[in-house]
Amino acid sequence: MSFALDPPSRGRRGMGRALLGDPMGLAGLVIVAAFVAMALLAPCIAPYDPVALDVKAKFVAPSAAHWAGTDHLGRDLLSRIIWGARLALGIAITSVGIAGAIGLVLGLVAGYGPRWLDSLLVLVFDSLSSLPMIFFALAVITVLGPGTATLILVIVLVSFPAYARLIRTQTLTLAGADFILAERAMGAGAGRIIFRHLLPNVVGPLVILICMDIPVIIMLEAGLSYLNLGVKPPSPSWGNILAEGYTSLRQAPHVVIVAGIPLVLATLGFTFLGEGLRDVLDPRGAGRRWT
Amino acid sequence: MTAVLEVQNLSVAYRMQGGALQAVRDVSLSVARGEVLGIMGESGCGKSTLAAAMINLLPAGARVGQGAVRLNGTDILRLPPAAQRALRGKSVAMVFQDPMTAFNPVLTIGRQLADFVGAHDTGLAQPERLAAMLTRVGIPDARSCLGRYPHELSGGMRQRVAIAAALLMQPDVLIADEPTTALDVTMEAQIIHLFRDLRTSFDGAIVIVTHHLGVIAELCDRVAVMYAGQVVEEGAVDAIFHDPQHPYTRALLACDPAVVDPSSGRLPTIGGRLPDLSAPPRGCAFEPRCRVAAVSCREPVPRQRPSAGRSVLCHRGAE
Amino acid sequence: MTPVLDLRHVDVDLPLGGFLTRAGLPILRDVNLSVGRGESVALVGESGSGKTTLARAVMGLQAVTAGEVHFDGTAIAGRDGFSRLRRDAAMMFQDATASLSPRLTVGYLVTEPFRIHRQPLPDPARMARDLLATVGLPPAIADRYPHELSGGQARRVGVARALALRPRLVIADEPTAGLDVSVQAEVLNLMADLRRDMGLAYLIITHNLALVRHVADRIVVLYLGRVVEEGPTAQVFAAPAHPYTASLVAAEPKPDPRKRRADLAIRGEMPSVLRRPAGCEFHTRCPLARDLCRATAPDLRPTTSGRLARCHFADHHQEQGDHHALEN
Repeated sequence: MSFALDPPSRGRRGMGRALLGDPMGLAGLVIVAAFVAMALLAPCIAPYDPVALDVKAKFVAPSAAHWAGTDHLGRDLLSRIIWGARLALGIAITSVGIAGAIGLVLGLVAGYGPRWLDSLLVLVFDSLSSLPMIFFALAVITVLGPGTATLILVIVLVSFPAYARLIRTQTLTLAGADFILAERAMGAGAGRIIFRHLLPNVVGPLVILICMDIPVIIMLEAGLSYLNLGVKPPSPSWGNILAEGYTSLRQAPHVVIVAGIPLVLATLGFTFLGEGLRDVLDPRGAGRRWT
Repeated sequence: MTAVLEVQNLSVAYRMQGGALQAVRDVSLSVARGEVLGIMGESGCGKSTLAAAMINLLPAGARVGQGAVRLNGTDILRLPPAAQRALRGKSVAMVFQDPMTAFNPVLTIGRQLADFVGAHDTGLAQPERLAAMLTRVGIPDARSCLGRYPHELSGGMRQRVAIAAALLMQPDVLIADEPTTALDVTMEAQIIHLFRDLRTSFDGAIVIVTHHLGVIAELCDRVAVMYAGQVVEEGAVDAIFHDPQHPYTRALLACDPAVVDPSSGRLPTIGGRLPDLSAPPRGCAFEPRCRVAAVSCREPVPRQRPSAGRSVLCHRGAE
Repeated sequence: MTPVLDLRHVDVDLPLGGFLTRAGLPILRDVNLSVGRGESVALVGESGSGKTTLARAVMGLQAVTAGEVHFDGTAIAGRDGFSRLRRDAAMMFQDATASLSPRLTVGYLVTEPFRIHRQPLPDPARMARDLLATVGLPPAIADRYPHELSGGQARRVGVARALALRPRLVIADEPTAGLDVSVQAEVLNLMADLRRDMGLAYLIITHNLALVRHVADRIVVLYLGRVVEEGPTAQVFAAPAHPYTASLVAAEPKPDPRKRRADLAIRGEMPSVLRRPAGCEFHTRCPLARDLCRATAPDLRPTTSGRLARCHFADHHQEQGDHHALEN
């Protein structure tokens, strides 16, 4: 039904303001920004060397010298958590970046390309996502050996099919839209249609999904590192800190607690940001007239 | 004739950044049983907002400033929510431009019609009654239509079913918002005919909201012409089309391609644009586009009533 | 003089999407249609008559099952053929707003044809301003996004983009659909001016007869994917040769309460293309159908007045003035 009056439209410039206006999105943005700053500035803000041993000062409870205490080898936990953020975000962002790019391109090609290619790609996506994630990760790590590069590879392989399928579905619905027909009628080629007209219209939901996936990946990295299958021990991964803390849980519970806090916060932060972005970016919400 | 539905000095605004958009400004209208009222105007004139207010289905963000909508004497805008729901459909029914969106795609027509009735009176939900109603709105083979899904029907048929659904509720007022705009000429002619038949057999009032002058002329008894949220002229259909008093009505009638002689070459246009309704002018809203405007037109406009049932919102209209 | 666009015996079947079968819906059957240089032709019919399919077939958005599409005297075939066609012919879509790519600015969108066809575009901003000025839009519109435009503005942007490469043919699908009366008049005037100034030919697809009367030199009436009548607009409106055309003309609502129609000119709906009636395909709805019509399909034949009509009794109707009876 047409109420015929233009509602206040939300242009591209208004998007950031809309995100700031939503308390949940704002909270997410602040938390994520804090983690990113922490990761980037780790060398400057960490009070100690995260791998420097000081066996005499092991299991020091949080104090003025060590705000978050120390672990079983006397390493400063706050420094390890700050450096851990660098590791966790680095791995998560690198892997979703790669997975997102692969998913985007393959999804667009599957959705707009010839039918046989679509069938083939869908078969690949479905086969990959039918593998149980943990067992698949364990198998790959057993073959290639644990390490950061293996971890990223595993994450990319398990997450890109979902991205590709999302993009493919979006592309299929848009492929019959009037503006795509209009572009074809003007003689636009497949490359121009895919990258200039389809891509900007499908990327929004992908950004939301990726944002919501980052905490899952941080958790996965922590989990695999906890099992000694991820980042190799001396590196200050949150998972490693937890694993090491777990062995001395009764003796020094503060280790597990302080290593758990950033995991919880990062999860909340990215989830809130994702929810906020959904409200702002969702093609059915923002920037469309509701007539 | 007593009015079934009466709109009194109604104003509706939409909240927006930095102010309010005054979509309906001080509108008074009434419609009696057995009468067909046409609300005519272009996009942005507030006709759809007015129609939504008549059934108390204003969208979120709309706020009733002042005035009342009285149905059989009760102000429906100020009823408690439960009473509003009971009223909607039972006393006022609405038919939309695209009937597809009004139906649930996964239920058969029969199920949905039964639900429409069921909300008010289960005794009516017999297949025979439903089929009889479909036959009344001109659907051939009504029994088999009850078993079909909305997408299996053509646009014209869906609009007929929507009208049947509205009539099943035995409303006092039937409001149709652009009922033929989505249809072909042939289907449009058939729906116009259907409404005309209903006029004689249905004892409620019918309100037709459209920008299509032909539909108004074919169907309505009385016409209200809206511009910039106001009713600028009201009168019997013959008077509006053959003796328009307001310069906007005259301009609108003159530029309809259906009346202009093709050999004349160019079509007349109105020129200019609607005033900003977040800060409506103090004087006549049409003044900047009006060919006969004078300085006095910038002053608040008195409503002239040259004859019974006729009103013109113009400084110069009654001259 | 060769026509700009010439369709010869065109059939279009829409694929049903079966895996092994090649069967399709027979949408268009044996359509011959030509548009001369600078000529304006209206293609008229109800929804389901195949008008939009025909427009898409011309632009190569829909494959032609049989027959040929000639543009400027040469048959269109292959990539190069369509590339040339899409440069020299442009299409305006029914839903103007939806036909504009939503995340790009108007300025980019109106200059996009230059980029697609690798034509020189030394100053895109200036070109955008000039094109917008041609259709009577202020330069500030160039920075807007499609959803920020009103219906009339979006329509004008569609026209500006269609004109960018100075085409010889514009195919306009319901160019005034969804527009207010006063805006309709503005768009029609604009189209008439551009035709005069640029020597454009139009193929206008519509069911709005008031529009046809104003913009078309010639009218082609389509029913169930076949041409049922063709002739000069004024003549066809004055005395339709085919009962279908007559009922379309009569069905148009008149904006005059003193000329209300007493009864219906046309009943029922168009049959499905899957169940085409035997004999004359219009006989199921024709108020004048006789036994011959139910048995034998008429051909598209010239009438005595020099038009084409697919009716056994075309000349007879015209003489008897049967159709005028329909209007009253």
